[in-house]
Amino acid sequence: MPNLRVLIQGEFIRLNKYNLFAANFVVLLFWVFLAWFLEGEVLRQFIPVIFLMDSVMMTILLVGATLFYEKKEHTINSVMVTPVTENEYLLSKILVNALNSLITVAFISLAVYLIKGVTYNYWLLVPAVLIVTVVHTLIGIRLSYSAKDFTSLLINYMIYVFVFVLPPVFAQFGLIDASVARFFILLPPEASSILIGTGFVEVELWKILFGYSYLALLSMVLFRFSVKPKFNEYMMKEMGV
Amino acid sequence: MIKVKNLRYKYQKSKDYAINGIDFQINEGEIFGFLGPSGAGKSTTQKVLIKLLRGFEGEIEYQGKPLNSYDDQFYQDIGVSFEMPISFSKLTALENLEFFKRLYKKTVDLEPLLKRVGLWDDRHKKAGEYSKGMKIRLNFIRALLNDPMFLFLDEPTNGVDPANSRIMKDMILEFKQKGGTVFLTSHIMGDIDELCDRVAFIAEGKLREEGAPRDLKIKYGRRTVTVEYRENGELHSQTFTMEEIKLPSFFKLLQEKEIETLHSGETTLEEIFIKVTGVKLRA
Ligand SMILES: Nc1ncnc2c1ncn2[C@@H]1O[C@H](COP(=O)(O)OP(=O)(O)O)[C@@H](O)[C@H]1O
Ligand SMILES: [Mg+2]
Repeated sequence: MPNLRVLIQGEFIRLNKYNLFAANFVVLLFWVFLAWFLEGEVLRQFIPVIFLMDSVMMTILLVGATLFYEKKEHTINSVMVTPVTENEYLLSKILVNALNSLITVAFISLAVYLIKGVTYNYWLLVPAVLIVTVVHTLIGIRLSYSAKDFTSLLINYMIYVFVFVLPPVFAQFGLIDASVARFFILLPPEASSILIGTGFVEVELWKILFGYSYLALLSMVLFRFSVKPKFNEYMMKEMGV
Repeated sequence: MIKVKNLRYKYQKSKDYAINGIDFQINEGEIFGFLGPSGAGKSTTQKVLIKLLRGFEGEIEYQGKPLNSYDDQFYQDIGVSFEMPISFSKLTALENLEFFKRLYKKTVDLEPLLKRVGLWDDRHKKAGEYSKGMKIRLNFIRALLNDPMFLFLDEPTNGVDPANSRIMKDMILEFKQKGGTVFLTSHIMGDIDELCDRVAFIAEGKLREEGAPRDLKIKYGRRTVTVEYRENGELHSQTFTMEEIKLPSFFKLLQEKEIETLHSGETTLEEIFIKVTGVKLRA
């Protein structure tokens, strides 16, 4: 797939030119700034939140922003009349976001090490961040499909957060019964949170195994049955060229 | 090269067919044009032919095989320019072209092409800062950068100034001379007349007439010659059929009168279009 490399390079050039990298970087600096004020156990609890936010929220927003630009400028139509296949195109989005998340891991980890001397298990963190990013790239693409502009993508994202992120938060505050909360690992952000947590705390083995299998399966199902079938329709929807 | 049989296409959300049963054939090495007003179905046809719009009814054969049997390698030999100029606005013109260029096996040198359409000096300008005419020229070059065998051009000169339009038309003719095949659409009679070996009239999703522009003009034109001359300060005109111009009376008129104009009864494609379809090319 020689086109994949070209697509990924092109995407990185565009992330840069469209100032999306810069926006991402500002957010990273903000995280580091917050981390500066935290110490000890609080800091150790905060760092996984950074990675979770980055690989869930930033992934969805970045993929949404690039798709939104491609749609607005109709460049997706130009790309689709080249030898690039749909799979290559979609895969390039996934890989670009995965690389971005790795950059985040490297940057944040280096920063918190330098300013606070904090280390953690990078070998467990990296694969977790990768799978979480892959799932959320696909979720981001799917949310963009049903958004008519960037604002409505943001609204879709908010809905996603409310539906999937709030229940575990409520459970933590004891607002939802523990017997129900056991099943929250089925919510993608919660499964993501558990996997990212493996870099920082002991997590039961079954949860790790289940988390990885579940998110891998979810990625495949999303790709095959949700993102791919709708791709052409989405591309043509407001083509106007 | 392309054979189309009873092609119909309906957009998902609309109840009417945008293309409603059309048949045509594009032969290798020719420029084939669709002439028709806005909304006739020209762009839709092009998008179906380049495999962007799926789910058409009818048959399309490309080089003897069903269009649907081709994968994305189909695009190696095809150049497309859309009706609307498309580019990454925050990338320079050259960055835009370089990105697309790397997606093809076979490519051409960009410098002579950009120089020809007058964009070389502005190659490092962001595409978003280009004027509409410049964007269209950039898209035209985009369509040529993989050295295609087949060009699909949707209203290629629409919005381009006359001088650049001339250059683009020359380039299209040269593309044909080198053996290329072209499908082009336009609502501008002049382009079709000048470029196309054959033209089909499209109105309301249907093809109404087809042929070489010259043949159509002969078929629909009056085979007459009208002479305008002045006599005692007054303007007179007299019309002769092609048979009558062989008679002495015609020559006598030419010799004796002060002739102002001589017109053949040849008609324009635009007039023929209106006559055949009952629809005007421009609203
Ligand atoms: N994306 C679309 N969705 C629904 N209808 C469309 C779409 N694009 C074009 N049409 C309709 O299809 C018809 C043909 O349009 P088009 O092929 O763009 O015509 P032309 O290129 O000749 O101006 C028009 O009635 C137009 O309104
Ligand atoms: Mg059109």
